[in-house]
Amino acid sequence: MSARAAGRITPGAELPAMSAREVDYAIVGSGAGGSVAAAVLAAAGAKVAVVEEGGHYTRADFNMQEAWAYPALYQEHGNRATEDLAIMILQGRNVGGGTTVNWTSSFRTPPATLRLWAEQHGVADVDAATLEPHFAAAEARLDVGAGNPDDVNRNNRKLLDGAGKLGWNPELIRRSVKGCARLGYCGLGCPLDAKRTSRTTFLADAIAAGADVYSDCRVKLIETDRGRARAVIAEVLDRAADRPRGRFVVYARKGVVLAGGAINTPALLLRSKAGTDSGLVGKRTFLHPTVPIVAFYDQPIEAFYGPPQSVSVHHFADRGARVGYFLETAPVHPMLGAIALPGFGDAHRKIAERLPYLQATIALLVDGHHDDTGGDISVNESGRIRLRYPLHASLREAAVDALGNMARLQLAAGAREVMTLHETPLVIRSEADIARIADAPFVPNGHTMFSAHQMGGCPMGSDPHGSVVNTRGRHHQIENLWIADGSVFPTSLGVNPQISVYAHARLFATEIARTAGTTAGATQ
Amino acid sequence: MNPSRRKFLKRGLVGGGALVLAGTLPFAFRTTALGRRPRRELRLLSLEQHAVLAAACARLVPGDGAGPTWPTADAVDCAGKIDALLATTHPDVGGDFKRLLRLFESGFLGTFIAASPRPFTRATPAEQDARLEAWRRSRVALLRSGYQAIKRLAHAAYYSSPEVYARVGYPGPPEVPQVPA
Repeated sequence: MSARAAGRITPGAELPAMSAREVDYAIVGSGAGGSVAAAVLAAAGAKVAVVEEGGHYTRADFNMQEAWAYPALYQEHGNRATEDLAIMILQGRNVGGGTTVNWTSSFRTPPATLRLWAEQHGVADVDAATLEPHFAAAEARLDVGAGNPDDVNRNNRKLLDGAGKLGWNPELIRRSVKGCARLGYCGLGCPLDAKRTSRTTFLADAIAAGADVYSDCRVKLIETDRGRARAVIAEVLDRAADRPRGRFVVYARKGVVLAGGAINTPALLLRSKAGTDSGLVGKRTFLHPTVPIVAFYDQPIEAFYGPPQSVSVHHFADRGARVGYFLETAPVHPMLGAIALPGFGDAHRKIAERLPYLQATIALLVDGHHDDTGGDISVNESGRIRLRYPLHASLREAAVDALGNMARLQLAAGAREVMTLHETPLVIRSEADIARIADAPFVPNGHTMFSAHQMGGCPMGSDPHGSVVNTRGRHHQIENLWIADGSVFPTSLGVNPQISVYAHARLFATEIARTAGTTAGATQ
Repeated sequence: MNPSRRKFLKRGLVGGGALVLAGTLPFAFRTTALGRRPRRELRLLSLEQHAVLAAACARLVPGDGAGPTWPTADAVDCAGKIDALLATTHPDVGGDFKRLLRLFESGFLGTFIAASPRPFTRATPAEQDARLEAWRRSRVALLRSGYQAIKRLAHAAYYSSPEVYARVGYPGPPEVPQVPA
């Protein structure tokens, strides 16, 4: 096929009030999934348009200030949360999506999770061998290296030391970086482009191969016609006001690929009333609900500097019949820290002013592997997305167990004291204090929780009645509609998701490109 | 508890039509103490709503015990920053937040939850703290959600302000090494 001229990124401000394009494939979202799908399809000679709701920012914009970064780079300007606000949701919204703001942690999908999907969720033909070339390609393009002891800052050192003393097998995390200066601001956009994001890798490849990217364009509807996706209809946003100022339509000759993430993709299908007959769209949404704890040390920790995540502990990921969890750390800049800390006024201040001595460990609950069914997404008449996520009893049990073990770990690492983030925090100075955690109610908005990993809502599987897309991402009812993001995962992963999203999207896109000639309408 | 009230509480803070109870308090803002003028042009909130938010922020951030080196909520314009932020979110969010402020200001609810019958903006600092405590520790999930909405926005606006960095021992972002583009 003839090579195309390179494409470009067009900001919404350059689009007229009404405009349209016609391409082979319209891709919604420019994060891990959308970028790799665009790269594969553009390399195969297809004309591709990537439509992204967020703005286009580069390293010159990344000023390491929370006041700028959360409103600019995150969904709902940093205010996304479950309906009851009990779980704050950190999710990217920009050219590059979550990869612009993630903490670089790079894991392959665990074999145990793939087995669970095969045995209980009808995903028989996506095993580790199938994914191997796609994991390898993603890791190579993202410069995922071996875990590096030099990446371990003092915040992560405590996790490493505490887990090591207790025999909990801490591991170094592989990171998607090249030339990392270990500044500590991955979550606010890397000012060096040392973090390998979708924008600096697969999206750049896609653009070089002729793909066009349109930022500040929020896709509101998928237009279908006789069982085929025909176009995506977007609002062009005024970036400063985040209000629509125009309309942009992308007609898709061959197909539409959705990659807006596990909250926006189901919401888009629900809003479009397209492909929702199964009743499964937006159900079983998983979050790795994340429970933090803080510890105070006599020596400075400075958890605001250095690579945010370099150590993980999966010792408790499989607790048999009980919900598992894994442990990592969170960076603690003033705003993120202050939001997580309980209380207000001077009580809150007395905790906040110890910020440099504070270590933060987080437990990420592996939801969806047991009898817990996650959350569900709905969209109201005005298009507002709601995520209801009841805190199932089995998750509460895991949260309480995790708090106890994180406290043990901190004490083993030499913490002066450990503090839960209950609204009435428990201060733990010895093993004897840990029993009190079980007595404290764990209720919504009674203990800080957040989520940085959104999964599910459009599960893949071979059974059209038990899944939304097939095991190559193709929608069961709409033959030229694919989903290539974390929403296809039937459960949560049990690890940080970026590599799993890249690899599955690459598997799906490779299949789209391979079968394009046989797809009805593909030769139009 | 009657069925409609139970349904309202179950719908949560940000549900469509939530906080309808607040809508039944037509006089809630009539007695609001306006306090200091906004430091910037308001994009979402009315003067009354801004005053309630500013009064809440003043108690949520470090207060009288913090010493003079800690900026006040007003000095870093917490309420103005929150107004500007919420003006860019989905219109339903702004609507819900305005209803939340109305409920927050209500002396009727204040009486009920903290024996504090005055509008929030006219209550003493001690009464205001008691009201915030009542919301924070409430057995009613909706009130805890409402508290967290205001608390997180106030703390986000305050602690992301460079004027506060030194107070929490944060030296600020480091120098970025120079590398070629």
